[in-house]
Amino acid sequence: MSLPEKLSPEKLYKTCNPGEFSFLSTADLDGPIKATGQDRAFEAIAFSMGIKHDGFNLFALGPNGTGKQTAIMQFLATIAPLAPVPSDWCYVNNFKHPRHPGALKLPPGKASTLSRDMEHLVEALLTVIPSAFSSEEYQVEEKNIREKFQEHQAEAFEDLEKKAAEQHIALIRTPAGFAFAPEKNGEVLKPEEFMSLNKKEREAIEKEITNLKSAMQLIMVQIPKWQRETQEKINELNRNIANFAVKPLMAELKNSYASLSEVIEYFETLENDIIENFDQFLEKEPDPREMLLGLSTGKFQQKGALLNRYRINVIVDNSKREGAPVVYEDKPACQNLVGDIEHISQMGTLLTDFTLIKPGALHRANGGYLLIDARRLLLEPLAYEALKKALRTRQIRIESLAQLYSLVSTVSLEPEPIPLDIKVILIGERQLYYLLNVYDPDFSELFKVAADFEDELPFDGDGKLAYARIISAIAKTDKLRHFDRGAVARVIEHGSRITGDSTKLSAHLQSISDLVREADYYAASAKRKLVKAADVQKAIDARVLRSSRIQEKIREATLKNAILIDTESEKVGQINGLAIYSPGGQSFGHPGRITARVRLGKGEVIDIEREVEMGGPIHSKGVLILSGFLGARFAIDQPLSLSASLVFEQSYSGVEGDSASSAELYALLSALSGVPIRQWFAVTGSVNQFGQVQAIGGVNEKIEGFFDLCNARGLSGKQGVLIPASNVDNLMLRSDVVNAAKKGRFSIYPVTHIDEGIELLTGVPAGVLDKSGNYPPGSVNGMVVAKLKEMAEKIRKFTASSSDDED
Amino acid sequence: MKLLIPPEEHTILFRHITVALDCSPHSLASLTAAAELARKMHADLTGIFVEDINLFRMAELPCSHEIRMYTPEPEKIDTLQLERSVKIQAKKAESSLQRVAGECNVEYSFRVCRGVVTGEVIAAALEADLLVLGRSGRSPSCRKGLGSTARKALAEGKKPLLFMRPGIPAKAGPILVLYDGSEGSNLALSTALALMEKEQILHILILAESYEKSLGIERELSQNRVLADTVAEYHHLPPKNGKTLERYIRMAASGMLVLSDSMNLPRESVHELVRELDYPVLLV
Repeated sequence: MSLPEKLSPEKLYKTCNPGEFSFLSTADLDGPIKATGQDRAFEAIAFSMGIKHDGFNLFALGPNGTGKQTAIMQFLATIAPLAPVPSDWCYVNNFKHPRHPGALKLPPGKASTLSRDMEHLVEALLTVIPSAFSSEEYQVEEKNIREKFQEHQAEAFEDLEKKAAEQHIALIRTPAGFAFAPEKNGEVLKPEEFMSLNKKEREAIEKEITNLKSAMQLIMVQIPKWQRETQEKINELNRNIANFAVKPLMAELKNSYASLSEVIEYFETLENDIIENFDQFLEKEPDPREMLLGLSTGKFQQKGALLNRYRINVIVDNSKREGAPVVYEDKPACQNLVGDIEHISQMGTLLTDFTLIKPGALHRANGGYLLIDARRLLLEPLAYEALKKALRTRQIRIESLAQLYSLVSTVSLEPEPIPLDIKVILIGERQLYYLLNVYDPDFSELFKVAADFEDELPFDGDGKLAYARIISAIAKTDKLRHFDRGAVARVIEHGSRITGDSTKLSAHLQSISDLVREADYYAASAKRKLVKAADVQKAIDARVLRSSRIQEKIREATLKNAILIDTESEKVGQINGLAIYSPGGQSFGHPGRITARVRLGKGEVIDIEREVEMGGPIHSKGVLILSGFLGARFAIDQPLSLSASLVFEQSYSGVEGDSASSAELYALLSALSGVPIRQWFAVTGSVNQFGQVQAIGGVNEKIEGFFDLCNARGLSGKQGVLIPASNVDNLMLRSDVVNAAKKGRFSIYPVTHIDEGIELLTGVPAGVLDKSGNYPPGSVNGMVVAKLKEMAEKIRKFTASSSDDED
Repeated sequence: MKLLIPPEEHTILFRHITVALDCSPHSLASLTAAAELARKMHADLTGIFVEDINLFRMAELPCSHEIRMYTPEPEKIDTLQLERSVKIQAKKAESSLQRVAGECNVEYSFRVCRGVVTGEVIAAALEADLLVLGRSGRSPSCRKGLGSTARKALAEGKKPLLFMRPGIPAKAGPILVLYDGSEGSNLALSTALALMEKEQILHILILAESYEKSLGIERELSQNRVLADTVAEYHHLPPKNGKTLERYIRMAASGMLVLSDSMNLPRESVHELVRELDYPVLLV
């Protein structure tokens, strides 16, 4: 079996050659940021936006910062201007049922015109109606009607009074009504005078008074009827006068909106309301009590109240719009989406009317596109439900949340719902999309299309040019220095390092744009006009330095031997594994000592981490795989009569992942064979039951972690790391590591099988089964088999002697 | 021609004004007009409320019943209840007086007396320089013309007398004065001038036998220094009967009419005019 060669320096880092670029700096590039490698997502966006059926709304999924919103906005910018401008919408007073304001649909730009026209109408009515009602014609007519009533009433009384007077009886007004009494010379008879009359005379008077009272009662019964008739006549007169005053103005208005039947219908009800309530337009004496309370109904306030009643509350004004609206709602609270009904406080009471209806993002985006961050939407109470309801019912119904949940008990409105025609685009993380898909049955009905954005771009010509354009666009937008091509190349290399894959570039635009801004800062400090590669490198180094406190503390403890990591000698049953730490946003690697001890037993491998519940399930699985490997390789002909224990030394927190399983196997093999392991190597890689070494994550950080320790102790040229061969494509190592490799002071070995690794680690061949099924005696495997045989024999003997003892 | 009262004495025309109060709309109009005049003249104001003796007599009669607007059957009048009701009316009248006098910032007094209304009002007004009363009171049938108290005051020659009606304030519109060169009309003109508010227009209706004579009077008046600062409009009418005059005045639709019954016109015609004309009238 041939051993793997250490990797050449070229394999450790994929460089980006600045000479490949046709531009000298990003100033030479123009055009918007164009997302590359997102064809799948673009296809989905185009499909969702193009299909007109319900429920084909879009969920754009992918990690944050990958430019989903930018990409969608760019796409919409190409299609939205070509779409028709949607209608204007406004709310108007419902004169019959003020609690249910009516919605009016108008052609684009007409709502604000209507609003202005209505203000002008009210202004005109404030002049026209008072002048009509103060006209002599009206005054005379009204006076006539009232006097007619007075005359009618007075005539009736006068006739009765005359009739009474003929009988020497006076009609007298009492404080509460009327009464009849006998009189003499204009004065009522005194009681003694009356009593001095003879009985017949008294009875005659009493009879007469009784008749007069009956006649008076008949008149009394008539009076309310006459009053009613009089009021009806006055009302009729008022209506006629108001109608006369209002008609010409309304006719003019109706003429302007003749083609809009809904508006004409509203005008009809409006006209009737103005005529019925003409007295609102007449100037009134302010109520002194209201004046004291500061509620004066002065001319100004009166006009304000009138304007409110006849105002047009323009909810959507598309007068200046070209094409369909594209709205991004930054705070998708329920009321920001579907609108709200506000209240004003007056004398401690909350009041509202249709003018206090506020539109939401759904109103503004109606007929176009609405973008919402899914996470923010879900964080807002009831907002997601409100959005779904609107999409399901295809209408926007404004409901006051406070009212809905009885938080405020006051008069509120139920505005007429507005039909909804919209494409909603939710933007969010993948996990959110999958969770919604699983747990919300409505979601898949309403968001039928998913635009799955890639996390990575290919590290090819297109990808590199896309990066250059991104840098150029950020520089222009944020007014930063432009990058020379060397700096662009360095950013691209860093983009590849972020992905942990030398064939890919990160699509996480946020990280890239942050790096661009940070590099600009260092270029400015160096007083450079263009950002150079050195500035980018400084920004990367500074970023690492800012977050390296913990990493340095661990390394310091290692150098002081507080954490025991041997990088010089050879030890049996001991190996350097590599672990990744991720505090905050940055991750780093550091070696950890793994040890294995064996004793007589029943074939089990004890994972001490698992025993103390410090090992995660994947780690435990990796250890169990080791048992599988050992059993399959060494316990075909004899029982595995050992008990092995594995531990991550000096680990004080949990361990997770199976990337150390190959290292654990090497430690076990060393412990079983008694062959020491070279401690100047560190190992990473998982292993399967056949002994194949498999890929792991964070390979760059792990190598760099071991390199940093070795470098701090002094590179001997022996030190190196064994990595899975399948991880070679992921290598994008730091320049100091690559340089050390170039000088032969540090090595990386790609390993495909555990036998390769053990030979590299021990310098002793692993050993291959011969034809008779035995491993060569001097090989690691041979020594393991011998050891296992010895242990099995000891067990057998021990068991036999124990049985004899029992007998 | 000389005016009887020189303008510098206008302000002392009325020192004591008496107004008859009975809580009717006419009496409220009278109260407002009286208070405004009192303010203008720096006069004091006396409100008089008469508890109608006829009411109390009637209450004591066995056959007396009250018919109310919203009560189905007539009810026996309870004397005590009546006393209370009349007292409440008096209180109401007093508080109206208090309010209106307060608004006009004039001194006032209030008197309540019991007796026959007409007699008591006229007797109370003996000490006053001006009696202000509504064209009609609370009597049920006086839709037009004068009520009994006003009729009696007019008949007994009590002067000056201001008859008010609701709806037309005394100071609304121009003042119309009847002038025929007689002593009485000079007094009317002087009084009208004394009552004029700033920038108020004075309409002078000249009653003369011929148009030439009428123009002559106009010329004389317009040259009179007393009228120098007044915006006066002259109208001319031959003195005919009261009906014609009434029609003319109605057509002119002025505000308060000031006239005298000691003019060349027969006293009865003047009284007829006062009775029929449904305007605020000041008879001097």
